[in-house]
Amino acid sequence: MDDRRQRFDTLVMPHLDAAYRFARWLSRSPDDADDVVQEAFLRAFRGFDSLRGSDVKAWLLTIVKNCHLTALKQQQRRVFVPLPEEHDVDDGEAMIATTPAPESTSVRRDEERTLDRLLSTLRDEHREVLVLREIEEMDYREIAAVTNVPIGTVMSRLARARAALKAGWLNETDGEPHAVR
Amino acid sequence: MQCAESLRVQAYFDGELDAFSATKSERHSEGCAECRTLLKDLGRTRTALRQDLSCASVSAPPALRARIMRSLDEERALDTPHRVSRLKSWRPQPFWKGAFSGIAGSAIAAGIAFFVMAPGLTNPLLDDLLTAHVRSLMPDHLIDVVSTDKHTVKPWFAGHTDVSPVVADFDQQGFQLIGGRADYFEHQRAAVVVYQHGAHVINVFSWAWDQHGLPKNTTRNGYHLAFWRVGNLVYCAVSDTAWDELLGLAQLLQDLGTRDAR
Repeated sequence: MDDRRQRFDTLVMPHLDAAYRFARWLSRSPDDADDVVQEAFLRAFRGFDSLRGSDVKAWLLTIVKNCHLTALKQQQRRVFVPLPEEHDVDDGEAMIATTPAPESTSVRRDEERTLDRLLSTLRDEHREVLVLREIEEMDYREIAAVTNVPIGTVMSRLARARAALKAGWLNETDGEPHAVR
Repeated sequence: MQCAESLRVQAYFDGELDAFSATKSERHSEGCAECRTLLKDLGRTRTALRQDLSCASVSAPPALRARIMRSLDEERALDTPHRVSRLKSWRPQPFWKGAFSGIAGSAIAAGIAFFVMAPGLTNPLLDDLLTAHVRSLMPDHLIDVVSTDKHTVKPWFAGHTDVSPVVADFDQQGFQLIGGRADYFEHQRAAVVVYQHGAHVINVFSWAWDQHGLPKNTTRNGYHLAFWRVGNLVYCAVSDTAWDELLGLAQLLQDLGTRDAR
């Protein structure tokens, strides 16, 4: 393995999970997310020499975001012809996943579902900053880089996203004030 | 309606303020009921999102990881066509042909030095094994015979491969037998026994090898490769599990193989 590839594996590959989660949030379909992430890693590898500094995660997620936007444009341009659906059980991955997914056994299932749904009702630009902040634990500067907006906009979007989530939660639970833990 | 300090309070909560501004913000919140409530809400929202959101801890599927690794390998092959073609064109030629004539001679000498000095980097067997493992993780490539029963898997190899490897289920030790597969390399139909350990797939390759010695255990592209031999059968377990676990399975299989051979 050459040097460049080894450095890429060490620096960039550890952020694969974060890139995948982010792509899932953006595209909201696992298949689309797979394609976006693969394209992003290819672009990242090609542009790896241009990476300066240690902000690898923000750099990678920026590429994921750009790939998502490109894919979105292509989808809108293309006439959509549905293919016959393949059975999930024939999928190699489905075959090896013999244990139930951890989330299905979680005792917090109801809260999960409510939160997932609430989050999906947020506007895209609100959900994006909230996920980057709370799930990926990025700081304002990194979020600004990924979303390509000024830090002030990141702050106001975050505030609105959080307020909307709280309002939605109170609505779900009939205004019980202590429902959001 | 909304306190003018609310964005600064949020920044305080997110750890974005320097010490001086943070102290100022704390002092403000002490006297402002609205911002105290805001802080409490921010904390609750964060806890809820990090604990209760099903997608918060999702990781990338192994098949996607394998797909990416493969596309990066291909990308690298495209990047360096000169080096690859030189190695390829060099190999089939008898080495003495141009060995003493000028530039070609030194190129070959450099090539030999490269092979001799860095055997771990250029061993085609390791590449073949790794490629076979990664390919097996792609959809529909993992298993030819799906079975958790060693009495089904082992006879299946008799008609499909040139060797009959040790097959066992170590479910109690955490290695579940999930099936078998035939793969072609080292000029023979090699047998692959597939185990599952947690979320990881372990491919155990086996083929007849009459040469002496054994490749050293190694790690490539993040995958571990562990080798051992029983009689003239060489085994190689490949996976992205931890070394300890992979070597644990290797030990179990080696012990069983040695016992059977007696």
